[in-house]
Parts: sequence; C-alpha cells; structure tokens
Amino acid sequence: MTVAVLSPSRPVVARRSGASLPAQVGLEVRKSLSTRSGRAVVAAGALLAPTAMTLAVASSAGPLGSPVGPVVVTGMLSVLVLLALGVLSTAGEWTSGSVQTTYLLEPRRSRVLAAKALAVAALGAGVALVAAGLATAVLALFGPSVPLDGVGRAVLMVGIGGAAFALLGAGVGAALGNTPAALTGVYLVYLGVLPLLQVFKPSIADAVDPGNAVLQLAQGTDQAQSATVLVAWVAVALVAGVVVTRRRAVQ
Amino acid sequence: MITVTGLTKQYGGRTVVDDVSFTLEPGTVTGFLGPNGAGKTTTMRMVAGLVPATRGSALVDGRPYAALPNPGAVLGTLLDAAAVHPGRTGRTHLRLIADALGVPAARVDEVLELVDLAAAGRRRIKGYSLGMRQRLGIAAALLADPPVLMFDEPANGLDPEGIRWMRSLLRDHAARGGTVLLSSHLLGEVEHTVDRLLVIGGGRIVADGPVASLLGTDGVSVRAVDPAGLARALTVAGHAVAPGTDGELVVSGASPAEVGAVAAAGGLALTDLRPLQRGLEDVFFSLTAA
Repeated sequence: MTVAVLSPSRPVVARRSGASLPAQVGLEVRKSLSTRSGRAVVAAGALLAPTAMTLAVASSAGPLGSPVGPVVVTGMLSVLVLLALGVLSTAGEWTSGSVQTTYLLEPRRSRVLAAKALAVAALGAGVALVAAGLATAVLALFGPSVPLDGVGRAVLMVGIGGAAFALLGAGVGAALGNTPAALTGVYLVYLGVLPLLQVFKPSIADAVDPGNAVLQLAQGTDQAQSATVLVAWVAVALVAGVVVTRRRAVQ
Repeated sequence: MITVTGLTKQYGGRTVVDDVSFTLEPGTVTGFLGPNGAGKTTTMRMVAGLVPATRGSALVDGRPYAALPNPGAVLGTLLDAAAVHPGRTGRTHLRLIADALGVPAARVDEVLELVDLAAAGRRRIKGYSLGMRQRLGIAAALLADPPVLMFDEPANGLDPEGIRWMRSLLRDHAARGGTVLLSSHLLGEVEHTVDRLLVIGGGRIVADGPVASLLGTDGVSVRAVDPAGLARALTVAGHAVAPGTDGELVVSGASPAEVGAVAAAGGLALTDLRPLQRGLEDVFFSLTAA
C-alpha cells in the first residue's frame, strides 16, 4: 500500500454539475451490460426468438398462411425475457446494495428512475428488434415459402413490446426493491394469473393481456385498445415504482 | 464543512436520532463514537440524504446534500463497503462512478494504486476479501478528491498496515484543509487519529469537544531515586499520593510542574514524570452508560 499518502499529482477536476440525462441514460445502459447476469439476459433475449423459429421451421411441414403470427409469437419469447432486464436494472440495485452508490451520486431519485426507464426501454427495444429480425431471417431463409407482407410491422411491434415489457419489469422492480420477489411477481402474473384468467374469463384475458396487445398491434387490429392496454400496464408499474422509491430509505 | 442542526429520526414511536446538532470545520478529523444502535449510521445516512429526517437539517458546504450540483464531488462517503454489485470488476465499479462524477478515467487508476488494488482491479468484486472491499469503498470516496469525507467504520477488515495507512490518509486530508467525519468502534485507533470527539448515546450527543479536553488529566505519575522520600515530601506539601501498579507514585489532582517543584525543593532526583490521562475507553463507557 502507498504508505506515504500524497496529494493527487494534478488537481482532480470533477464536473461542476450533475450528469446530463442522456449521460445518465448511457451510464444505466452500461450498468445493465456490466454484469454477467445483464449480458446473459440480453443474449438470451436476442437468441430465443430465432432459436424458437428454427425449431418451428424444422418441425413444421405444412404451408404458412401469414408470417406475422410466427414472428410475433417467437418474438414474444424474447420479450418475456426482457421483463427480467427491467427488474435487474431497478430491483437488482436494491438487492445488491449498489442503490446506495447510485443515490449518493444522484440524489434526485425520479431522475435516476427516468434514466433507468429510458435505458431499459432502449435496450429492450433493441434486443427485441434484433430477435424478431433474426427470427424473420430464419423464416425467410429456411421456412415455407410465404409472402413477407406485414413482417416489417410485426418486427416493429415486437420491438415496442420489448421496450414495454422491460419498462414493466423496471417499474415492478423499483416498487418491490427485491429481485427474487419482483421476478416471481412478474412471471407469476404473466405465466400464471393471465393463463388462468384465459381459462375462466377469456374475453377479459384477451382484453388485458399485454402479449395479446402486441399481437393485435402487429396484425393491425384493435389498435387503440391494444395501445391503451400496453400503456396502462407500463404506466401503473412505473408510477408504483416512482412512488415507492421516493419514500424508501436506503438502509 | 458539515452543519447538523436538530437532526431527529423517528421510526413510528421509536426515536433513533434525537435532536443531534454539531458543526464540523475544515481542517479537522472528528471521531463519531457510540455503542451499537446509538444512531451513528442513521445520522450519517441523513447527512447524505439516503434516509429522510423526521426533523432538523443537515448541510454539506452550506446546502442540503440533494441540492448540491454534483454531491459526490463535495462529500466522499464510505457507509457500507458491501453495497456494491458483486458481479462487476473493481475497475468497472470505479469507472461508472468516475463517469457519473465527471472525473477523468485516469483517476481510476490513481485511486486503485493508492489503495493497493491495482492488481485486483480486473477481478470481480465477488472474489474480494472484506479488507479489499473496504479499500475499494475508500477509493470510490476519493475519486473526485472531495473536500469532505464521511466514513462509517473505515477500518473494518483492514490489517494494521492498512489502519496506519488510513490514519495517514485522513490526517493528510485534514492537513490540506479537508473535513473528515469518521465513526469507529476501534477506540484506540480513533484516539490516535482524531482532533475532536462526538459521542452519541441513545440517539443524543453526550459529548462534543477536543480529544484532550474530553479525556482530561487525572494527576501525575512520577518515579524517583528515593520514592519514599518523595512520597513524604509530596504528602507534606498537601498532595494525595498512592503507590502505582508498576512501582511509580500516583499523585492525584497535581500537575507535573507542582510535583517537579516539590522534588526540586527537597533535592530529590526524578527518573520519570508524566501526566495521567483517562483512557478513551473509560470516557466512552462513562458517557454512554446511561
């Protein structure tokens, strides 16, 4: 260890003000990608859709009516993984304790959450677009011959779905402040509660299911209602996250 | 500078910090002592804006922490060395903080070198020992070379060389005009490091002042060639004399000058003469016992 503690050889000049919002968004993206878990989620998100499409193409013999359904369905597998990306960006900080450093550097918690939201939305959209694009490429190259009408819109809607689900995960993660609880919660709702609702009240389930909303948007049906459903899920999660985070003490 | 006025924190009906006030001036190292659960960490977290105060205020450089434009560049903190993501490398952790502060990337290498973690910088924090995490936390606090440092139990996990290094670091920082607040359970270490003591017990400040005045003096320890003769002379002069545990004489309520004058008047040669001070441990327990 440097026994003689010397002053810095040159004065250390820090920024006179806090980081700008774009800089904070960039930092949050780097934070998400700076851990193995974050990179694993992104890789899984990018590869699930094309892998599922490969398996579907390999096991399918019949003709295909429209490419939109397969692209969206396989794309939603990747979108589901992006729920975890959002959770890790918020709840992950509380679970590891690094939230202390985050709020010491930027005490304005709403600004931090805004930066995290923008970061996971951008990452989620990017990963989902790549995933859907790769899945489409697999379908086009190796699948049954089918006009690719509407595929562009489908890929775009999967991208929007990726952003929305990542934001949803971030909001729930911020509200609960605990990674296992948040992950359990979001997947329990999406893979447990909604399918149960589909069994007993299918019309309600179709109306509130955010995954169904993404499919409807890709197919160009029920646009307004589908957009409202997605926005509502994201808004409720983010508002809950902001309200709880602003009041929670960092112990 | 840190100025705390009437700071209070209540959780339901329980008051954990009760009307705490103090001002820390530049150029000083202040020790913040108290038993477990006395309110030290909660007070520090309120100063740093991590825990909202129920009443009162805490100002850093004249402003609430959250109102500082780049707070990490004004107040460097080490509150919990374990509060880092274990999946990141030490270097990545510091790079992210440096970018948030607007500090050049080269400074990361400087602080890693300073805390002797340059070789471990590319390893994941998960594999760090407690002492290494502590040094990483100190490195993070020093990135922007802030004027104010606030460390909670900084010596945890440090070996004797590390403790000595940290003492030099904090004294050097104060010598350059910085302000240091550190809490510690290592009373012996605090006694050698700080200029001033803040003692908290049950959420309230029970002592606040320079180390020397708080510890006080409690008489004189003296050795002489003729101890019996010296004892007689001191008794005749009106001093209370008692034998010490190691062959010395303990003269209560007297100063070294008074004892020296008695010895000189009687032609008695002295071999050792020193004031007796109360130990910090005794002071700590007497102040926090209630």
